[in-house]
Amino acid sequence: MNVRKQAMTLTLNDELVEVLVKPYETLLDTLRETLGLTGPKEGCGTGDCGACTVHLDGKAVASCLVLALQARNRQVRTIEGLGTDDTLHPLQDAFVRHGVPQCGFCIPGVLMAAAALLAETPRPSDEEIRYGIAGNLCRCTGYTKMVTAIAEAAAAVPQGAR
Amino acid sequence: MSTMKTTRDVRGVGLSIPRPDGPEKVTGRVQYVADMTSRGLLHAKLLRSRHAHARIVGIDTTRAKALPGVRAVLTARDIPELKHKAPTRAHAVLAIDRVVFAGQPVAAVAADEAAIAEEALDLIEVQYEVLPAAVDPLKSMQPGAPPVAELGTEADTSEALAHSAVAMAKGEAAPAKAVNISQTAAVKRGDVAKGFAESDLVLEHTYRVPMVHQGYLEPHAVLAEWDRAGNLTLWASTQGSFNTRSEVADVLGIEENRIKVIPVECGGGFGGKIRALCEPITALLARATKRPVRYVMTRREELEAGMPAPQVIIRLKTGVKRDGALMALEAETVLESGAFSGTVLAVSAVFLGSLYRWPAFDIKGSEVLTHKPSVAAYRAPVAPQTIFAIDSHMESLARALALDPVEFRRRHLQKPGEPMVNNQPWASNGAHEVLTRIAEHPLWKEREAWKKSSGNGHGLRGTGLALGGWLGGLQPTSATVKLNPDGTLAVLTGQVDIAGTNIALAQIAATAYGLDIDKVKITTGDTDVAPLTGLSAGSKTIYTVGTAVLQAAQNARQQTLEIAAKELEASVQDLEIVDGKVIVRGVPDKGVTLASIGKKGNLYMSKVEPVLGVAHPAFSQQAPAFAAQLARIEVDPDTGQTTLHDFVVVQDAGHAINPLGVEGQMQGGAVQSLGIALTEALMYDDSGRLMNPSLLDYRTLTAADLPDIETIIVEVPSPSGPYGARGVGEPPIVPAPAALANAIHDATGVRLTEVPLTPERIALAIAAKG
Repeated sequence: MNVRKQAMTLTLNDELVEVLVKPYETLLDTLRETLGLTGPKEGCGTGDCGACTVHLDGKAVASCLVLALQARNRQVRTIEGLGTDDTLHPLQDAFVRHGVPQCGFCIPGVLMAAAALLAETPRPSDEEIRYGIAGNLCRCTGYTKMVTAIAEAAAAVPQGAR
Repeated sequence: MSTMKTTRDVRGVGLSIPRPDGPEKVTGRVQYVADMTSRGLLHAKLLRSRHAHARIVGIDTTRAKALPGVRAVLTARDIPELKHKAPTRAHAVLAIDRVVFAGQPVAAVAADEAAIAEEALDLIEVQYEVLPAAVDPLKSMQPGAPPVAELGTEADTSEALAHSAVAMAKGEAAPAKAVNISQTAAVKRGDVAKGFAESDLVLEHTYRVPMVHQGYLEPHAVLAEWDRAGNLTLWASTQGSFNTRSEVADVLGIEENRIKVIPVECGGGFGGKIRALCEPITALLARATKRPVRYVMTRREELEAGMPAPQVIIRLKTGVKRDGALMALEAETVLESGAFSGTVLAVSAVFLGSLYRWPAFDIKGSEVLTHKPSVAAYRAPVAPQTIFAIDSHMESLARALALDPVEFRRRHLQKPGEPMVNNQPWASNGAHEVLTRIAEHPLWKEREAWKKSSGNGHGLRGTGLALGGWLGGLQPTSATVKLNPDGTLAVLTGQVDIAGTNIALAQIAATAYGLDIDKVKITTGDTDVAPLTGLSAGSKTIYTVGTAVLQAAQNARQQTLEIAAKELEASVQDLEIVDGKVIVRGVPDKGVTLASIGKKGNLYMSKVEPVLGVAHPAFSQQAPAFAAQLARIEVDPDTGQTTLHDFVVVQDAGHAINPLGVEGQMQGGAVQSLGIALTEALMYDDSGRLMNPSLLDYRTLTAADLPDIETIIVEVPSPSGPYGARGVGEPPIVPAPAALANAIHDATGVRLTEVPLTPERIALAIAAKG
């Protein structure tokens, strides 16, 4: 385990961050263990559950499958950077109002997947929403309220606002 | 019924209120155990057996201990508390000289980093002598099968008691003739042989539901830390902190007062986080290193060595008359418990023998041990599997007799007051109401048109429904309600909120006391500060803890009114609470605010007693809760692929305290039920190794697999629940396997008796029918 750490910079939730990482370290571990952002969760560690979903240059990725060094000089956004300290993102707001979160463990990943979907497809159909979050497993909700909340958040954002 | 008159305009029971922890959850700020740390934290990893059954010849930890960064390596030899004949998984902390399932922990490491602990596992050398494994429960029952438990190990029935609270005639609890049969039970009534002899139609099928995993997204996790006086603190993902404390105290042989369990946000449990699992070994590593230690299971470990639901095999034989009269039922249920005892045997007999009115029945049940991970509860334990058998069977009988399947069920469905198999009367329930309601649904009424639209570019179309439920769990509990100096109300319980129950409990407190919900705070305390309470399991939190909160709030209200009565020189009966003020009824100007009463209870030299409502009820009356589910499907006859077009859940909630939360339970439970029906199975090879230890290969349903789940809440008040409420968590996971099998039967004409209803099984059955 005597592997030298390497310094790298990345833009994390709109702030430039410098961090020391081991070459084998995943982006998820760096975010959670070194940078203290525990919003992204490890539900499987093999890219099957989506709980660790973050944005890498605006695209949704499973951060358990990305090496930290792959994020060097790139833009990373986590659930902590989806809204602001004072205001929830429309998706977050809709999730709260519709009572979507139950245990809550999958929610950060689902929201990041949904945000990436809306960035690409601002007015998704229900089917597009269902496929957009198909990589995110949820065991509590049965997905129905989730789909409703995402559709409502999409409809609430004026066209072209993104 | 303990409903009391409430004041005007109180926002409480019956309103859809989003959970107050929503904002913390959507921003990622809620902390689960794996998100927590402590100064000097060490990380734990467990070395697990690759073999299902083997003798441990020797373990060499020398090289692992020498690895820099490793702080402790433990084997069974280092833990004097360990004993042979461990009655539960929790007691079998590490294997002593024999492993009994693939995935059983053999050694444990604590290290500075998780990666170092992982590397240390590779440096531990274990020599095994591999032994034949009992993998198939039916073979494991036979004499001469490889033994699982040590002879004389006690059966574990504690889970059954907490969960289903059904008294049953029990057979032998200790291992019977065949060493791997750990429990048996039997119930009988009437002359079964005569019933079959007089029947016009005798139908027999064997139904199978494999082991399935609860699939909570958060793997088991615990953080353990000791102080220098020998007191242990556990931050745990648990469904019952007092239960965790008792189990860990028992395994470690220390007093419960030396352990504080802090229940951390639970990322899903569904029954799988009731029993202690990794808490004892993590505590032992923390004791050995004198450092805080965190252990988080991997998903692979969860699937290979969690505590899944048992495999259930039910041979069911029934006899009926041509006119549909029920004559006799004979059943044998086998519950595969894995390497340790602990299943719920009674539930199966109740639903098989007494959901419908069988004049004669003979039901036997066995719990069988195999060399697989031991099982635990999974939301309505054994009910989905049992309803799969009896409801599929009722549907087949109705079809064979050309009777309307809903009418056939309704005609024979037992009513409240009629005897269950154990001769206890069925308590008040809404089984008839949910069945009637779902039969009125347009999708049911239009089922013939849907079926006729098969072909012409479409697959084979069908509709199916099923009825199932849950008897309702019971466990004593306690709660306190205190009036704060500013007139707000604080509710304290030890009940872990795994299902949105805290907001509903706050709603109950608000309504019972007579205060707006915004003025009520509810706290789940740790085991040091909270009054005793039971598990968050068995759909009993609102039914039991809700009753405790209701009584404690009424008690606090009474104290408040008595204080106000003195001050206002009025009698208690003439007082009411309106807008945060106690007033004489009809004289709104004459009053005293809750804030002033609260303040006087905490004022220097005050003679006014603080308001503290207390309740600590125990229970004897269950409140069964039923759900009916309907599926509209389409099957591709060539590939066997099933498309689910519509799915409806009708459920009796008694009184929906928070309809938004009830809907969430109904939808989530339905999708877990659909997972059992369509995709989920833990699959083992002949040597007892799990073949699908990842969420890629163990397929739970995704958003893309499903339609919207329609929910219809029916309210048949329970005579004893708070405001008439019944439990809502378990019923929705029960009916779907039967509903889907019935829908596939409707569409294709084939009857499948084994789930999951995979494309392969469906296509082969269609091909075999020709």
